[in-house]
Amino acid sequence: MTLRPDFLWLVLLVGAVAFACRAGGFLLMRFIPASPRLEAALRATPLAVMVGIVAPAAAHGGVPELLALAVIIGLARLGANDVVSALAGVAVVAVTRSYAGL
Amino acid sequence: MTTPFTSNGMRRGFIAGQPFGVGVFVYGIAFGLLAVQIRFSLLEGTLMSVLVYSGSAQLAVVNGLPGGALSLSSSALSALLATIFLLNARYLLYGAALRPWLGQVPAWQAYPTLAVLGDGNWILSMKQAANGERDAGYVMGSGLASFLPWIGGTVLGMLGGNLIANPRLLALDFMLIAFCAAMATSMVKGRTDLAIVAVAGGVALVADALLPQGWPIVAAGLAGALLVWVRFKPEPTP
Repeated sequence: MTLRPDFLWLVLLVGAVAFACRAGGFLLMRFIPASPRLEAALRATPLAVMVGIVAPAAAHGGVPELLALAVIIGLARLGANDVVSALAGVAVVAVTRSYAGL
Repeated sequence: MTTPFTSNGMRRGFIAGQPFGVGVFVYGIAFGLLAVQIRFSLLEGTLMSVLVYSGSAQLAVVNGLPGGALSLSSSALSALLATIFLLNARYLLYGAALRPWLGQVPAWQAYPTLAVLGDGNWILSMKQAANGERDAGYVMGSGLASFLPWIGGTVLGMLGGNLIANPRLLALDFMLIAFCAAMATSMVKGRTDLAIVAVAGGVALVADALLPQGWPIVAAGLAGALLVWVRFKPEPTP
């Protein structure tokens, strides 16, 4: 159970940078006056970020991923619970990949 | 209206975050296996997962230490830290978006919550907030639902417990993407939302093609926020 001093320094530095990212935006917003306009813009970020996660995945995806995304979006449009839609999509990817031997 | 931070909220967040926890657990194992290969001790690998808690960043560190050597020149070190920053820049946006909610609770509750912030739990929490959630414990509970499996997976992987030979076959790498697709679809309610999807999607694809890893999410998030900022009209509040 060793802990090299060099390692400790490195991990503290990297950890500090990671925490600065996690806390930095939150801290910064303390000094920016709240306004309905700003809050509306911030409320838009989750949807935009989710699209930012899905779009590249779709662009790089093969048949399993694209099929799954179609199933997920279809189920969600029909009003299915988010968890149900998402897990159905994961199942589609798992099954398609195993059949395709990917 | 007050903002509570209760154990009930934490419990609900923890339960809602479980699907993400499964995927994170498997990636924790993968990191643990890698950490053993470059001769991190169990204490070192675990400490890194606790203090850094970022799969992509930890991978960048491991790849930046050839043979596990720790002697980095100052220029190599600053390049590594800049990479870590870019890989985690999206958290700046996540934290900013949490300010109206998490800013209502004391700092000793807000900052530990931010320390365990991840993609899945931020998305889950923001969606829950849009549905009227006020309890800030929800954010920490859903955060811990991924943070704890990350630590547990790291330890297990370092002890050689490779439970899942090929995570791709269980499609766990698709978990976050699947939830994003489902939640994004059910969040689209009007024309503004559709415009956000179109703009964020276009920007993400361009950023994905042109910029390094970490940028597409930041670019899409900023584009969506900017769109709403520009189109904002104070009068009609729904």
